Amino acid sequence: MFFQQLINGLTLGCIYALIALGYTMVYGILQLINFAHGEIYMLGAYLGVIAWGWATSLFSQNEVIGLEFLIIFSAVLLFTPLWGIAIERFAYRPLRYAGRLSPLISALGMSIFLQNFVMLTQGAREKVFPRLFGSSGITLGAVHISPVQLTILCGSVILMGLLHLLVTRTRIGTAMRATAQDRQMAQLCGININNVITVTFAIGSGLAGIAGVMVGAYYGMINFYIGYQAGLKAFTAAVLGGIGNIPGAMAGGIIIGVVEAFGAGYISSEYKDVYVFIILLILLIFRPGGILGERVAERV
Amino acid sequence: MKLVRYLLGIIGAITLVLLVSGGCRPKQEIIKIAAVAPMTGESAKMGEDISRAAQLAVDEWNSKGGVLGRKIELLIGDDRADPKDAVSVASRMVSQGVVAIVGHYNSSCTIPASNIYNEAGIVMITPASTNPMVTDRGYRTIFRTCGRDDQQGKVEAEFATNELKVKRVAILHDKTTYGQGLADEFRKNLWSEIEVVLYEGVARGDKDFTAILTRVKSLQPDLLMFGGLYPEGGLIAKQMRELGLKCHFLSGDGVFDPEFIRIAGPAAEGAYLSYAPSPQDIPTAQNFLKTYSERWGEPGPYSLFAYDATQVILKAIELAGTTEGRKVAEIIHSHPFEVAAGTIAFDQKGDPVKAPYIMWQVKNGQLIPLSPSPS
Repeated sequence: MFFQQLINGLTLGCIYALIALGYTMVYGILQLINFAHGEIYMLGAYLGVIAWGWATSLFSQNEVIGLEFLIIFSAVLLFTPLWGIAIERFAYRPLRYAGRLSPLISALGMSIFLQNFVMLTQGAREKVFPRLFGSSGITLGAVHISPVQLTILCGSVILMGLLHLLVTRTRIGTAMRATAQDRQMAQLCGININNVITVTFAIGSGLAGIAGVMVGAYYGMINFYIGYQAGLKAFTAAVLGGIGNIPGAMAGGIIIGVVEAFGAGYISSEYKDVYVFIILLILLIFRPGGILGERVAERV
Repeated sequence: MKLVRYLLGIIGAITLVLLVSGGCRPKQEIIKIAAVAPMTGESAKMGEDISRAAQLAVDEWNSKGGVLGRKIELLIGDDRADPKDAVSVASRMVSQGVVAIVGHYNSSCTIPASNIYNEAGIVMITPASTNPMVTDRGYRTIFRTCGRDDQQGKVEAEFATNELKVKRVAILHDKTTYGQGLADEFRKNLWSEIEVVLYEGVARGDKDFTAILTRVKSLQPDLLMFGGLYPEGGLIAKQMRELGLKCHFLSGDGVFDPEFIRIAGPAAEGAYLSYAPSPQDIPTAQNFLKTYSERWGEPGPYSLFAYDATQVILKAIELAGTTEGRKVAEIIHSHPFEVAAGTIAFDQKGDPVKAPYIMWQVKNGQLIPLSPSPS
């Protein structure tokens, strides 16, 4: 049972981590908490359902299963970054020099707008997500890992690895880190910070969109409200890991997922969300910057 | 100038009074009843099912000349499945002079709203609220045409004991008045030899139940019972199969919805649900089914109960010869009524004497009744 709970927790944690990365990257660069980020995750899940509809209308038989995946993930990777960029362009850029509170209010407004937009256009009832994976899975002793869980675990690890490489090894990654350290200085060195911010929003939104599709496939059901709940947890994960810090967000997400699973599994599922916030409270008392929050140099 | 304004004001006031009193006279000849249920939000479909069925009954009576020689008007109220809204819409209905209510849908709305109807002496018949509290408070004007959770829980518990012959049972509920109420009644009615290995609440709106289900799996029950509604019920059924938990799944009428099968997919196969017998199997309901589907399409799970509730109200008004709520209520308590579901009689609490629950099972993606009539 211990290992099964660990797998459940890690799966959940990987999802939280993927969303938390978007929060933490945007915060690192703009010192802005992008509350509309959870809605991008929700939009990603809805886009998954829509793209699956396109895929099945294009190929009537399930002859090429890989092709459905390709269509869904390329649609998500194409559209969610664009939405992220559009949100930044319309809701945050005009307010960039308006102090810290105005973009925050704008972010909350954006979140409410997107939620209600999806509710009105897609309906308030739960949508059933297509069954992308079989149900066989791997059984090791008492531990059972379903194909969806395996995909989420492997996929997230690969994505996080790629992100790490991007931030540490590439030119744009260097520019991102420079902008995070000192926006003005970076500008003086010839970095176009508008481009950097656009890329940051695109990457964060792409990760959240993929997280949305994976969650949809995992639970088989989505509604317009999932962005709020997941966004709250992911934001907590970002704070727990030290907001602005990329490895911190990954660690924070995984800790929250595992704590939730063990709390619900061993103590009681009635107060599932309470355990997470107890951990957060205790941590913030002793380490106000989060687990990895003090290593400012690494934040992006 | 000032004098002119005063004069105009007085004339205006007089016309207003005349208009109001003039407007009152024809209204006394119309009998107003209301269907109150969630018309917007997640449960909007249930509200629509209820109001359409009530409208059907009202139109049938009106085409025969109404009741007591007066036309009937059906008002529609929206409680948005929220207890606070339920109370305010109930007060509004009372102040508008409504003589009887068909509704509400959620037990958590029906209970506070019925306080207001009872004080005002208005008959309320709920077609869907199954929590025992609705009729257990000694209110003379509050009734229901559906069953009670303790009857439902008993049918489920007897089925688990006698048919499934389970030894170990795990119980989950969604902490709502309905969900926990049903889980409690199920537990109470289980044989004492049966061991309840787990009894716990989960949060409404949660999507991940793998942690608690993993614990359920380690306790090796023969049956998992869930008290709650179909979104969580569907996810629990799906996730328990994904975790390799092979025991029976049993739940109540809140999960009885085609959405449950869509959400759980193949994992819904074999699930047991308690619900009323299918209207298709009731000979007296055939006429209702035909007229309803001709006008509105397929009836929902509570349409028949709402139609019968409206019929009982109108028949009782006719028998009482008055719209005075307390007199109508005494008629409902003391007479059996011929309605679409057969003969319905109410006990002193206001519940139907005969519990209309049977067990259903999901077979090949369809809900199939296991026995044709309630035993």
